[in-house]
Amino acid sequence: MWYVLQRVGYAVLVIFLASLVTFAALRVAPGDAITSMLNPTTTPPDVIAQYRQSLGLDLPLWEQYLMYARGLLTGDFGISLTDRQPVMDIVLNGAVATITLALAAFIVAFGIGVPAGVLAALHRDSLFDRIVRGIGSFFNSVPNFVLALILVLVFAVQLRWLPVSGIGSWKNVILPTLVLAADPCALTMRVTRTSVIEQANADFTRTLRARGIPGGRVNWVHVLRNSLNSVVSLGAVQIRTLLGYTLIVEVIFRWPGLGSQLVQSILNRDYPVASALALLLAVVVVIASALGDLALRWVDPRIRVSSGGSA
Amino acid sequence: MSGTSSPALRGPRRRLMPRYLGVSVLLWAVLAIFAILAIIGWAVLLVPSLSSLWTDQSLRSTFLPPFSDGFPLGTDNLGRNFAWRLIAGIGVSVFVGALVAVISVTLGLALGIFAGYFGRAADAGTNVVIDVTWAFPEILLAIVLAGVLGPGLEAVILALSLTGWAAFARIVRGEVLSLRERDYVAASRVLGYGKVRISVRHLLPNLIPITLVMTVYFMAVAIVAEAGLSFLGLGAQPPTPSLGGILSQGRDYLNSSWWPVVLAGLALSLMVLTLNYVSDGLRDHLDPRVGGRR
Repeated sequence: MWYVLQRVGYAVLVIFLASLVTFAALRVAPGDAITSMLNPTTTPPDVIAQYRQSLGLDLPLWEQYLMYARGLLTGDFGISLTDRQPVMDIVLNGAVATITLALAAFIVAFGIGVPAGVLAALHRDSLFDRIVRGIGSFFNSVPNFVLALILVLVFAVQLRWLPVSGIGSWKNVILPTLVLAADPCALTMRVTRTSVIEQANADFTRTLRARGIPGGRVNWVHVLRNSLNSVVSLGAVQIRTLLGYTLIVEVIFRWPGLGSQLVQSILNRDYPVASALALLLAVVVVIASALGDLALRWVDPRIRVSSGGSA
Repeated sequence: MSGTSSPALRGPRRRLMPRYLGVSVLLWAVLAIFAILAIIGWAVLLVPSLSSLWTDQSLRSTFLPPFSDGFPLGTDNLGRNFAWRLIAGIGVSVFVGALVAVISVTLGLALGIFAGYFGRAADAGTNVVIDVTWAFPEILLAIVLAGVLGPGLEAVILALSLTGWAAFARIVRGEVLSLRERDYVAASRVLGYGKVRISVRHLLPNLIPITLVMTVYFMAVAIVAEAGLSFLGLGAQPPTPSLGGILSQGRDYLNSSWWPVVLAGLALSLMVLTLNYVSDGLRDHLDPRVGGRR
C-alpha cells in the first residue's frame, strides 16, 4: 500500500513538472500568439495591447502559470487563440479520433504480434522464425512516415483501393492503423519470442514435460502464461510509442486527432491548445507507466521494481 | 539475462559473410557507402560553387523519371537534379545523426554516472529529470522544442540531443550501480581517490562498449527523428535538401512522380536498417551478457 501511494505521489510530481515544462516552453517561444491572430502592421498598437491584456499575456509568467494551473484543475483549458473555440472541445473531438486509431493499432499490434512471437519461439530458427524476424527488423527500421507514404502510393494512388487521407468511412481507418501498428507489432513479436524462449527452457517447463504433460498444453498454457507478464508490461511502453507516432501519422493522413491538432497548434503558435495537448499526452504516458509498474507488481510478486526499462 | 539457453540448443549457425566486430562485412560496406555519400553531400552543401548542382531549376524538365539524359535519378517538381538533392539530403541526415548521437551519449554518460555514483540526492534528482523527459514521447518534446526555437536544423539538433540522453542515462546508471560494487573501485576508494577520478579511471572505461553500441543506435534514432521533424516542416527549411523535406514535398506530387518518395524513403530506411544491425551486432560482440533483443 505504501508503495502504491509512493508511486502515485511520484506520478503527480512528474505531471506537475511536466506541466511546468509545457507551460514554460510554449510561453517563452519567440513570436507571439497575437501576431498570428492580428496583422501587426495594420492593427493599431492599442488594439494589440488590449488583446494582450484580455488574454492575460501581459501578466508576469508565474501569474500566467497560476492561472493556467487553476484552469487545468477546474477543467478549463482556456480558449484557442486561432479559432476562439474552447480548448476542451478541441481536446474532446481530437481524443475520440486518436483513441479510435490508437485502439485499432493496439489490437492489431498485439493480435498479430503475440501469436506470431509464440509460433516463432516454438519453431526457433525455422523458416517461419526467420521470416518473422526479418519482417520484424524491417518494420523496426522503416520509419513510419516512409511506410505511410509507400502504402499511400501503392494502395491509394496506384491501385485506388483506399482513400489517400481524411475520415468518413471504415476504409480511411485501414492505412493509418497499419502504419501505426507496424513498429509496436514488431516489438511485441520480438519480446514475446524472447520471453517464450526463456520460459520454454526454464526448469518448471522441463519438469512438466518430464511428467508427461503433452507438449501443446505445456507450450500454450504454462509457457505462454508465464511469458505474458513481460508482454503486458510492454503495454505501457507501447502506449508511449503509439502516442509519439500518432503525431506524424495523423498529419500524413489528415486524421483530425490530438496529434495533428498539436502539430497544427504549434505551427500556429496557439499556446493554450498546444500546451494543453502536450500536457495531456504526457499525463497519459505518466499514468500508463505508473499503472504498468503497479500491475506488474500485482501480477508477479517476484518483481522488485527497479524502474528500469528502455524500449 | 538468464544463461539458460545453451549454445548447444541453438544449433550451428552458418555464416555466409566474414564478420568484423560481430558485424557482417556487407553491412560495413553499406555503411562505408553512406559515409562516402554523406561526405560528397557535405561538399556539395558547403562549397558555394557546387551548390548549383542541387539548386538549379528548369521548368522545362520537371518530373523527369530516373535514367533520363543527364539526370540518373530524374528530376523533382522544379526540375532540379534529384540525384544531387538525395546525396545532399543524406549528408544532412548523417551530420545531424552523428552530432545528436555524440551529444546525447556524452550527456547520458555524465548524468548516468552522476546519478549512479554521486549519492542519493544526485540519484533522486537525476531520476526526476529523466522521468519528466521520459513522460513526453521523444518526437513530442522535439516538436515542442523545435516550435520554441523556431524551425531549422539547429533547433532539431538541440531538441533531439536534449531528449535522447534520458534513455542512455538510465542504462548508464544501471551499469554504474553494479560497477561501483567491484573490488577495484572499493580499492581505489580505500586508497583515497576522489569520486571524479574513480569515475574517469574505472567507471568510464567499463562503459565504453555500451557507449559505442548506443552511439550507433542513437544515430539511427536521430536520423529518423530529424527526417520526421523536417517532414512536419519543423526541421531543415526548403532550399536545404533533407530526406524528410524531400518526402514531404514528394507526398504532394505522388500522382505525377513516385521516385522522390520511393528513393528518399529507401535511402532513409536502408541507412536506419544498417545502423540498427550494426548496433545489434556490436552489442552481441562486445557485451555477450545482454543478447536481449534477438
